[in-house]
Amino acid sequence: MRYLKDYIPGSLDFARDDRDAEGKPMSKLGAVVEAVEKHGRFVLEQVKRARSDEKFAQAVTERWNKVKAEIPFAKAPTGLPLPRLALPEIDEPGEIARYLFGDGLPGEFPYLNGAYPEMYLEPLRQIETGSYGNRKSPNGSGETVAARVSRAKTPERPARPPLQEEPTRLFSGLMLAEDTNKRFHFLSAHQRSKRLSTAFDGPTLYGIDSDADGVFGKIGEGGVAVDTLEDMVRLYDGFELGASNFSASMTISGPAPIIMAMYIAAAKRRFGPKVVANLRGTIQADIFKEVQAQNETIFPTEASLRFLCDMIEWTTANMPRWYPVSISGYHIGEAGSTPVQQAAYTLSNGFAYAEMLSSRGVPVDQFAPRLSFFLDCGLDVEYIALARVSRKIWAIGMRDVFGANARGQMFKLHTQTSGRSLIAAEFKNNLTRTAAELMLAYMNGTNSCHSNSADEPFTTPSEEWIRLAAHGQAILLEESGIFKHTMNMLSGSPGMKAVERAVEKAILDEFREIESLGGVLAAVENRYQRSQIQNAAHRYEQQIYDGTRPIVGLNRYRNGADEMPEIELVRTPRAKQKLQIERLKKFKKKNAEKSKRALDKLSAVVERGENCFPALLEAVEVCSLGQITDRLQEIVGRFRPMV
Amino acid sequence: MGSPIRILTAVPICDGHDSAINTINLEFIRHGIEVVYLGFHRYVGDIVRAAIQEDVAAIGISSYNGGHIDFFADVVSQLKKKGANDIAVFGGGGGTITHDDAKLMKHRGVDEIFFAGTSLTEMAEYVKKHYGKRKKRRANSGPDLALARKLTELEDAVASKKGVPHSSSVIRHSRAQRARVIGFTGPGGAGKTTLIDELVLRFLQRQPETRIAILSHDPSVIGEGALLGDRATMINSQDDRVFMRSMATRGQAGGLSPATENCLALLARSGFDYVIIETVGTGQEALPFRNKLVDQTVLVMNPDYGARLQLQKIVMLDVADIVVVNKTDLERAKAALSEIEQRLTQNKRKQEIVATVAKRHRDPGVDELFELITK
Repeated sequence: MRYLKDYIPGSLDFARDDRDAEGKPMSKLGAVVEAVEKHGRFVLEQVKRARSDEKFAQAVTERWNKVKAEIPFAKAPTGLPLPRLALPEIDEPGEIARYLFGDGLPGEFPYLNGAYPEMYLEPLRQIETGSYGNRKSPNGSGETVAARVSRAKTPERPARPPLQEEPTRLFSGLMLAEDTNKRFHFLSAHQRSKRLSTAFDGPTLYGIDSDADGVFGKIGEGGVAVDTLEDMVRLYDGFELGASNFSASMTISGPAPIIMAMYIAAAKRRFGPKVVANLRGTIQADIFKEVQAQNETIFPTEASLRFLCDMIEWTTANMPRWYPVSISGYHIGEAGSTPVQQAAYTLSNGFAYAEMLSSRGVPVDQFAPRLSFFLDCGLDVEYIALARVSRKIWAIGMRDVFGANARGQMFKLHTQTSGRSLIAAEFKNNLTRTAAELMLAYMNGTNSCHSNSADEPFTTPSEEWIRLAAHGQAILLEESGIFKHTMNMLSGSPGMKAVERAVEKAILDEFREIESLGGVLAAVENRYQRSQIQNAAHRYEQQIYDGTRPIVGLNRYRNGADEMPEIELVRTPRAKQKLQIERLKKFKKKNAEKSKRALDKLSAVVERGENCFPALLEAVEVCSLGQITDRLQEIVGRFRPMV
Repeated sequence: MGSPIRILTAVPICDGHDSAINTINLEFIRHGIEVVYLGFHRYVGDIVRAAIQEDVAAIGISSYNGGHIDFFADVVSQLKKKGANDIAVFGGGGGTITHDDAKLMKHRGVDEIFFAGTSLTEMAEYVKKHYGKRKKRRANSGPDLALARKLTELEDAVASKKGVPHSSSVIRHSRAQRARVIGFTGPGGAGKTTLIDELVLRFLQRQPETRIAILSHDPSVIGEGALLGDRATMINSQDDRVFMRSMATRGQAGGLSPATENCLALLARSGFDYVIIETVGTGQEALPFRNKLVDQTVLVMNPDYGARLQLQKIVMLDVADIVVVNKTDLERAKAALSEIEQRLTQNKRKQEIVATVAKRHRDPGVDELFELITK
């Protein structure tokens, strides 16, 4: 009998040591479902115990009173004194236990209320006292009641990183590397921290060289053209790649390991080998999301996952400050999924990556803190609590199934408001839509956020509307008092709790369905997630057309003619497209001999099933992106789309 | 009743935005249209070749990643170059195609661009109104075009119950040697399409002269059109040495279309070395290839057929020349292989059994199957 591992030596060997009650093999996802249910039962037991065991009740109440006593007060600009943390008005030990164990204080397991204790609060002024959110040591006065009275694994209180960087990270990429470089310098000129976010053009996203047949018109369109290491050097020219105030984000998944290798090689070429350990940034690299929704993938799924894990294994060992995968629900949501599908697929994809890396022997505390997440936020009611529930499920799964420490339990989340919710008709309404979505995103304690420009439905965002979108965030966080004075200002309303319960149940049901199909990879191969997303997208469109989903200006209160501003489109001049091809040809000619040897070496490593990332690092010195893609496709095949 | 309208839809190269086109495809089908869906990230050459072979009335392109002016113009000009200027081109791209772009694109031969806010019904009605009647084509068009058009005539003749056109007018290379015809059948989800595409890759790599025709079937939705999506999955079969035709079952049960037999007869005498025919996913009692329709039958199975007893009910197991157990990377594969092997021994005739993992590149099981088919 042939199994996966017999064919591709060293390929992902999905550990199947878990068994369900009937002794059937179970993927880690099934174990996560059990862990979340078990945690639910654990919370109920604590509630009962607090109501029956006097000593425990006393400990719980003491802890509660201590937390409350330590909450500092601060004054709003009007002079109104407010606590820095709002807690429910409860004094019954059972209810207190339910809150402390079930929701957790902000920054405490299971992180329902926030990954960190303070999130968006204004810094505390000197004169105010108290210690909540001000603690220095995780083992000091902040020891939690859960730690003292339960046998569960010790939750460590994560320290909030010092406030230093602006959250701004503007997505940019156009024409050739030097054009994008110029834009990067323009965008970051007045910032303390240089946070660049790179968009690549179509050929690069598909691992194709600019000189390939039929892609000429796509060179430098919608992103920057990168064919070689030399383009990568030009792209970030003038930036200190190893500096602590620099970070680069690269939005690319299919050929991500090759592009990552180019980035590292470019950094080494400019700053020497020691720079590698200091590199900071994120590469998207989310293969599951591509196969389920976004379609920018180039190798068969198993092979793509192998190359991805090769990269993660290498970067988490050698680049401790790099995020090698951004597990993304955004594109799943934008492709038409329901919010629950978005969260369920994103989380299960994350758990599947964790399972693969664990089964390869990468220590959980090495990779788990380097996983980050990216979700969509639209106007459906689920978004009132979607990210809150996601944070909780991730924390429980990572702690109880994968044995991760506090840093590895945290669901580090970037949110973007929904592009799909914006429409061209009467487009200024999009400002209101985005504002409402921002509100929901912050109510969910997102760690960073991108707000869309109102003009996005019909053009690349223009400067005017980008400013308005960015200012929307500042108005919510800085001008308004909603988020800056008090943590939990809007957390835990009866409605929010109801949504939480419904969403959690629905996500676990999705997990069970995926599990019954044999786990994430098997479900992907059965097109399960894809067809679910497509069905949801179709239902959504139908609802718009039959009016059951009201869209103002489209199927309601429509005002006849649409005013669309004149758009000036930036298109890449043909001369630039030709220049890119000339440069690439010169590079190929110069390295003709060496590239052959490097590709042969890479082939051998891939065939042997070893981690191919070191060989990729060598290959990018002398090979173009397309040459490497072609060679890898010869060995592992091309991606076969699923309809 | 005449034949349903056939159109082809696709998304351009370096573009993976298929959400809109998936929704539109479903709407077209609901309106009785047969949609050959080529998939996303598709080259102009692949779109034009497919449109000609499938003899569609129009090509619908959904473009969201820019470069649409060049791309659409390229499709129009390549169609023209190949003598297929009767095939219309239309499309859309939400807000990414401006009104000025659309004007320019129409000037270059595109029929219509749909903008954001157009209802799905409007688009379907447009297609029905404009592409219901086929335009005349120049007589001196290329061989693929002529063959494709003849296949359409055969389908139309069956649909209108007019009877089959005389064979001599149908058959292009009447003296050509008859191709070897191989029939693939099996339950839905067994991986027939992927398996055939992997075999085609081996033909293309190992036999530099061989020409192949593929006749692939997908079910019609009752009272509606059909989504013919095999081309999207068959990445290797989009090649000038492969002539592929997708057929809808148009109400016929059993895995084939009412016109299959006639179309197959034509293809078998049109200068191909092999004709591969793929049925829709079939049930246990199906026996799709009768009347010596094919020279060799391959039954493709999934290890997940259920209890062992189910095997007794699968009639194709009695007659298949080759039984392929695909997806043998699944847990149940070992048991499945031995159960099927045992089942075949009852038949007391020579039948081959092959274990494959077709989704895997360079799978040795597929190599083995290729040898069995070509020996």
